[in-house]
Amino acid sequence: MTKRFLLAATLSASAVFTVQAADAFELKGEPKIAFIYAATARDGGWNEAIDYGREALEAELGLDVAVAENIPEEATRLRAAIDLYVKRGYNIIVGTTYGYSEAMSEAAEAYPDVAFFNASGVHNSDNMESFYARTYEAWYLAGIAAAESSKEGKIGILAGFPVGVVNWDINGFATGAQSVKPDVETFAIYTNSWWDPVKEGQVSEALLDQGADVIATDLSAASALKAAEDRGARAIGYQIDMSAAAPEGIVTSVVFHWDKYLVPRIKSVIDGSWEPSEWGWFEGIGSGVVGLAPFGPNVSDEVKADVEKAKAAIISGDLKLFAGPLKSSTGETKVAAGEVLPDEDLWSMDFFVEGITGTMPASQ
Amino acid sequence: MTDLVLAWLTVFPGYTVPLLLASLGLVISERAGVLNLCTEGLMAVGAMTGALMALAGYDPLLAVACGALAGAALSLVFGVATVVFRADHTLAGLATVALGLGITGVVGRPYVQKPFDGLPRLSDTVWGADLPRLVGQQNILLPLTVLLLLAVWGWLFRTHSGLRLRAVGEDPAAADVVGIDIQLTQLGAVLASGVLAGLAGAYLSVAAAHVWVEGMVAGRGWVAVAIVIFAGWRPWGVLLGAGLFGGAEAAMLRLQTLGLDFPIYLGAMLPYALTLLVFCIACARRRGENAGPAALGKAYLRQDKH
Repeated sequence: MTKRFLLAATLSASAVFTVQAADAFELKGEPKIAFIYAATARDGGWNEAIDYGREALEAELGLDVAVAENIPEEATRLRAAIDLYVKRGYNIIVGTTYGYSEAMSEAAEAYPDVAFFNASGVHNSDNMESFYARTYEAWYLAGIAAAESSKEGKIGILAGFPVGVVNWDINGFATGAQSVKPDVETFAIYTNSWWDPVKEGQVSEALLDQGADVIATDLSAASALKAAEDRGARAIGYQIDMSAAAPEGIVTSVVFHWDKYLVPRIKSVIDGSWEPSEWGWFEGIGSGVVGLAPFGPNVSDEVKADVEKAKAAIISGDLKLFAGPLKSSTGETKVAAGEVLPDEDLWSMDFFVEGITGTMPASQ
Repeated sequence: MTDLVLAWLTVFPGYTVPLLLASLGLVISERAGVLNLCTEGLMAVGAMTGALMALAGYDPLLAVACGALAGAALSLVFGVATVVFRADHTLAGLATVALGLGITGVVGRPYVQKPFDGLPRLSDTVWGADLPRLVGQQNILLPLTVLLLLAVWGWLFRTHSGLRLRAVGEDPAAADVVGIDIQLTQLGAVLASGVLAGLAGAYLSVAAAHVWVEGMVAGRGWVAVAIVIFAGWRPWGVLLGAGLFGGAEAAMLRLQTLGLDFPIYLGAMLPYALTLLVFCIACARRRGENAGPAALGKAYLRQDKH
């Protein structure tokens, strides 16, 4: 008990604000783990990256981890799957999408003895933790590589919807690029869809037509990279190493290593030391959960060195991202000199930084 | 500005052709009285089959043809269910969509995200290197689509057999009396719609994305259903509708690269709002010229023949 108390006292910096002394979650019975995906697990993108983490977990624990695929982001459908798993004795359930947030939170209340995790979710409680990575740090590094690989000084990025977690990728990418080439022009297009491979290829073409010679995708399909490769341009992938789609032109991919979070975290659930983070687990490249895939064959050593330098500076804390003075593309000052964008503003980021050409739907 | 229009015209066919092909198929099927909601599933099967053939190293045109055949094969299941066994058209259509999406998910799983060369643009072929960009960026399926549009229009509205097909959709009992085989006509129409939907699906994978992934049709089959309503079940209306939906999407993405301040959600909504409007007008006019075939979606049962 004392050990646990100490752990709680040292680990949680926000302990002062917690009303009750957090008791570590206690797992009843043998661990039985299930992962739930909103689409196919092998989608070549977001789900696949998490599924690699699941495989690592299986190997590490020597357990079979159950998988449910194509469970839509509807409360009733997800709840039915969770109920079934709990009935069968599963006590660690991992959801994989923002759209599961509400239903999982309700399930966590209904089943206090089951540990719940949700990737890119929003709710946390005594038996539930949401997790996501500071992807903008890796995108900053990708931006450096993109700007230095571009001959024309024009780079493009395609993304899904104008929400905070997407906008910080775009802005991270652009500020990284500007850090090495101040006058680089970044084009950004939203497809208004998370999953439309045909359109992603077409958007990539639109960016190439605009003169961009490095195309980065903040989405999951290989078609955007394939379009760049076909036109002799460079490409940057996302989620998993996408070099197969552009063997020549690939610069790098921003990739997740969810095993670095899932394995130790679920082990801590099993050994009884897990205490869900009150604000959700949210770390950057220092944790290794997000980073860059190996560079492509046509990336110079100079580029690699510059990326490594910035990476070390971000991890050590010498380099703060989204630090002032930071202006939006409409000329508004978003961060004053000497300040850094706080986390809550990060989540609600609704602007493009200066130097990005694109249409940001009016913020509410 | 001219640059923008030219760029838009260049990519316009890429957005429009798959919608046009799929809706054209729907026109044939629904003119024969079979309410056809299975396009999304048929396109999925066409896209996967085309991609698998291309990945296996077959000629892209052969791959596209196989995609069309796969669409026809699945549509036959729907046709037998609705025309022969007189299943409810709506339910059978939705079941076929589920079947198509399910099959592609299971069969195609090992081939996800594997890029292939696919159908070349005209400028990438040996004889097309000097074509202007506007033409060079297109592929061989564009002229084929134009021919198909002309052929379907000519067949439905300028030939005797087209008239018989439309008669089946308007009044099967009367058509039966004059000796038209209702079931054969409807099965043929459903098969034709399957070929066209399969072709549309294969276009997405073999001609556009050059890669196959699950769910890549991404709702285009449902857009086709809307386009047919917008078009008032007429081939030329389909051209207008597909052009409107495809053109709006192409324009929306191009405008974003310019950084113009315009409401993208409103723009994306416009074609759907127009469809609703057209449908409402058609309903208000009752049997006006925009109304669908009179016997659409009704199973035909002759007293003495089951």
